[in-house]
Amino acid sequence: MSNTTTDDSLITTEVQADSNDDRAAPAAGTAVAARDLNVFYGDEQAIDDVTMEIPEKRVTALIGPSGCGKSTFLRCINRMNDMIEICRVEGDVEFGGKNVYGPNVDPVALRRKIGMVFQKPNPFPKSIRDNVAYGLKIQGYDGDVDARVEESLKGAALWDEVKDQLDSSGLELSGGQQQRLCIARAIAPDPEVILMDEPTSALDPVAASKIEDLIDDLAEEYTVIIVTHNMQQAARISDRTAVFLTGGELVEYDDTAKIFEDPEEQRVEDYITGKFG
Amino acid sequence: MPRENYQERLDQLREDVVAMGETVCDRLDDAIEAAVSGDDDLAQSVIESDHEVNETYLALEDECTELLALQQPVAGDLRLVAASFKIITDLERVADLATNVAAYGGPEGGVHTAVDVRDLGDGAREMVADAVAAYAARDPDACREIAARDDAFDERCREASEAVVRELLEADRARNAARDGPAPTDGEALEASLDEVSQALLAVRDLERVADHAVNVAARTLYMIENDDELIY
Repeated sequence: MSNTTTDDSLITTEVQADSNDDRAAPAAGTAVAARDLNVFYGDEQAIDDVTMEIPEKRVTALIGPSGCGKSTFLRCINRMNDMIEICRVEGDVEFGGKNVYGPNVDPVALRRKIGMVFQKPNPFPKSIRDNVAYGLKIQGYDGDVDARVEESLKGAALWDEVKDQLDSSGLELSGGQQQRLCIARAIAPDPEVILMDEPTSALDPVAASKIEDLIDDLAEEYTVIIVTHNMQQAARISDRTAVFLTGGELVEYDDTAKIFEDPEEQRVEDYITGKFG
Repeated sequence: MPRENYQERLDQLREDVVAMGETVCDRLDDAIEAAVSGDDDLAQSVIESDHEVNETYLALEDECTELLALQQPVAGDLRLVAASFKIITDLERVADLATNVAAYGGPEGGVHTAVDVRDLGDGAREMVADAVAAYAARDPDACREIAARDDAFDERCREASEAVVRELLEADRARNAARDGPAPTDGEALEASLDEVSQALLAVRDLERVADHAVNVAARTLYMIENDDELIY
């Protein structure tokens, strides 16, 4: 599946340059950049002034103890937090050179370019084919849907297992297959970024390892940003790792090998070696 | 503190490596004494007790492997296990070299007098002891200082080898001069002399290697403390 550069028309109803942005644009090769990002749930601060750039076509892991804000940060990227009434976002999240919280951004169109896979597989109670084609139909895709379904299922390493049962319910698949079906659904609209919120925590080790292999393959075409509680998983599959600690503070963000071999921050060392958290 | 059992195992590993280092230094002391004095019983005790160091090495190797497999250490913990894994190999080799040095004294007396085995041996032994102390104390400055000492020690070893060769040449010259005199040196005496000289040269070589292993221990210790591989290569 070919990846294209960000199509502004999918994201904004009316494309305008950010008039109040005198800060540096994201560096070349940056897929997503957070600038001075603060997020509040009511009076409680969940993200504390986070600035980071996430490289394109790499796997970036977000790790940290429960309640540290890593999932909140992930959901900011495609504005899933918009659905939470008390959530307030300050600062910018840049994607394709534009602030996704800008006035003319269509969150639904944004989510086609930034897909999401959740902790528990959540296929629709529809056929395997319809699960994958769902997003294409919503966006009025006028190409060969069956070809795109096949391409997406192949991209999710599921085609060989389901090609003879495309009309069976997606709910009949095993947990690991269901999660790969959700990944196929996420990549069908040809996104640029795939967000994954603990995508293997509900799976057995064999199914989880298939997803890990798949993530590695996906990063050849897409930018993958994954929240995981499993630090060994982060170490195995990611190129970059961001460590959030309590209070939504991004404490350290570096190459994964550096984080797991020689972190700069003592608090990060204590967390990843299990001395707290 | 979470993972208390794991932390205790790491602490125990550190203590066991230090204890192995101290045992190896004791063996080296005995080996040097045997080489200098020609005490054959002492030499035999060094050789026969080498299996104890080997067993300690295998037990610690198992412990490192198990910690990696079951506890999956990262960051400083990972460097401790990885460095310890390498350090015990160096210490085991030092113990092997100690058995060689002990044997060079032989039943006929100490190593050739052209080599000051006591002086060289104590120098090498001190480097090993200091490297083990640097590991125990997590002292990066001591690691660098031990590595810096190695060049001077190599020079001392080179001078000692030269001294042996010089003695050999001088003895040969004396023999040639004596051919015009009363009686040439007999073949058996020459053989014994060559044996003594080659053992002296081997003793110097082995002590120089002991010092190299001490530098390895210091290098791995520096990596463990600072993730710095400047001394490894």
